[in-house]
Amino acid sequence: MKKYKDVVDLHDDHGRLVASNIPVAALSPLVNPAIQKIVAYVKQCVAVNLQGVQTALATGEVGGKWSMLRGRSTKVDLVGNAEAVARDLKETLQVKPKDDTEVKVLKEGKNLLVTVPAARLNAGVEYTTSATAVAAGLCHVIIEKFNVDMWDADLVHAAVWGRYPQTMDMLGGNVVSLLSVPQQNEGMGYALRNVLAAHIAMITRKNSMNAAALSSILEQTAHWEMGDAMGNFERFHLLGLAYQGLNADNVVYDIVKENAKTGNLGDCVKSTVKRAIADGVIRPLEKAKSGYTIYTTNDLNKWNAYAAAGLMAGTMVTCGAARAMQHTPSVFIYFNDLLERETGLPAVDFGRVAGTGVEMSFFSHSIYGGGNPAVFNGNHIVTRHSKGFCIPCVAAAVALDAGTTIYTPEKLSGVVGEVLSEVPELREPLKYVNEAAVKIKGEF
Amino acid sequence: MPEYKPQYYPGNTLPSQNRKKYLDPKYKLQKLRTISDDDLVRIMGHRVPGEAYKSTHPPLEETGEPACPIREIVTPTPGAKAGDRIRYIQFTDSVYFAPVTPYVRAWMYHTRYRGVDVGVLSGRVPLEARERDLEKVAKELVETEIFDSARCGIRGATVHGHALRLDENGLMFDAYRRYLFNKKTGEVDYVKDQIGVPLDKPISVGKPIPETDLRKRTSEFRVDGNAFRDDKELINWMQRIHMLRTIAGFDPEKVKGI
Repeated sequence: MKKYKDVVDLHDDHGRLVASNIPVAALSPLVNPAIQKIVAYVKQCVAVNLQGVQTALATGEVGGKWSMLRGRSTKVDLVGNAEAVARDLKETLQVKPKDDTEVKVLKEGKNLLVTVPAARLNAGVEYTTSATAVAAGLCHVIIEKFNVDMWDADLVHAAVWGRYPQTMDMLGGNVVSLLSVPQQNEGMGYALRNVLAAHIAMITRKNSMNAAALSSILEQTAHWEMGDAMGNFERFHLLGLAYQGLNADNVVYDIVKENAKTGNLGDCVKSTVKRAIADGVIRPLEKAKSGYTIYTTNDLNKWNAYAAAGLMAGTMVTCGAARAMQHTPSVFIYFNDLLERETGLPAVDFGRVAGTGVEMSFFSHSIYGGGNPAVFNGNHIVTRHSKGFCIPCVAAAVALDAGTTIYTPEKLSGVVGEVLSEVPELREPLKYVNEAAVKIKGEF
Repeated sequence: MPEYKPQYYPGNTLPSQNRKKYLDPKYKLQKLRTISDDDLVRIMGHRVPGEAYKSTHPPLEETGEPACPIREIVTPTPGAKAGDRIRYIQFTDSVYFAPVTPYVRAWMYHTRYRGVDVGVLSGRVPLEARERDLEKVAKELVETEIFDSARCGIRGATVHGHALRLDENGLMFDAYRRYLFNKKTGEVDYVKDQIGVPLDKPISVGKPIPETDLRKRTSEFRVDGNAFRDDKELINWMQRIHMLRTIAGFDPEKVKGI
């Protein structure tokens, strides 16, 4: 990694100062221990819907919707024996005694949160190890513990793995990882971007600042993996993550606060420009005949980060005021349109966010199908074009929705969001990433 | 620190200046006609006048909200607070010197109104908001200078006509014939709501704005009016944005002081 002189003040989700003059490099996914832990958890953590397995076995309804094996039924009390199942599953997954394997029983045995040991992932090359290990392990535990005979073992497999391997993924299965199977990634390095905004909102328990942070961490970290955050573009992503996702210098929170009571999207544009001028990021270049001032900058990456923070604040004010998520694409287009007309400088992601907004508005307003913003992710065909600056706003907007959609985030996310919200680093990423940055600040 | 004054839009021709004016919320849009609240509700067709607002979720006070620092500070709009459904009003603007172009609508909605969702399509601009918030906004949109009864249409479906020739009375084509020119009054009457469902009685939306007046109010560039190519300042701005976006896409470090 190159050396960067940038320092930022870190703030929490309520806009309170946490630490001053922290090197922005300390927030890089390449070095920040909390971000690395978050990425590790995303790979290692798997949610098990134990109640789902039990019901599937009892009814023969396996492998997704409208799929039932009539006459097949195996009654096993998995929920009632959840503690024992968890214990056996842990033993099955463990590589060494006292390693990082963990199986937590949630919701009185209805769900399990399983942390697959890193050793298992290290012994392979695919992140799918976690889901496959848990699914296979659970099958063995159920068969052995409940004396399931050979003729019903296939039903156990279907109840746990779903329709796989007839399908590419575990369709209708009851073992779920936050990450989709690699075949569903749009290109190289897209794995961390293939996470529904609904999951992010549910994992962070609808705290929009943390939803923005978690989504930004996943999106921007993916850009290192994709080969985008390299060379002259590394600082672009680093500052984008710091300002838009992690509320660096409190820009996001300040702009929201300034417009919280009566402001609109246009006011957020003005607040962004005002802040960028005040912090010396942009300055007037020349005046045109009409009196219109063209602005310029010596640091386009920093301007982009400020614009991205303004975009986040604009989303929070607009979707927050309406308590509705559907405004996100409109914010993407018109925040950037207005910002470019206000300054004469390119807006967020140099036009890519505005372009993404155009597509997303079609696909999120039911004209051409699609779905509400909660089903979008950074791997989605219409939202993949921005370099990590759109989906954090979508995740924040989903968190702010009061229930305006037919398919709610709760319904879309299922057990994954609920179960993974038990992991503190995923639920409150802002806190942990800030703390980790403070710890390693001396290294830069 | 240089003093910052919001500027909204570049350009020194009349359409540019009009755009700037409409985008500036401090500029009060001139009221040209009065439409009663009930008539507007009838034209939009989402509810019967006097009917209670239907809701999509219970009022926020009843449900409570998740712990979120942004929800704590961002005040919900009255419609959001009550849990109103999200409804729409949609306009089609003729290419023949209508007061606003589709994109100007979107920009000005966002600079003037809070918590609104707007999109621009080829021949129509839907505005979506919580129902009671929408009704408040819609009133200004129909009663002021940005609406012309002949060259703007309130159309929920089958919207095309924006690029077709005007009829013998100067009205924009509408396949549903939602509005008619009333020769006796010289006004335009809506006989169907925005979807095309017949109304019980016609609703007047006033006289068409005279052509000379429209040409002064329009934010449209036209070769037979103010041509876009004549606005050198605007063209320079546009080429500048295009250039900077392109250079930045190659290497953001190369954009310094230009």
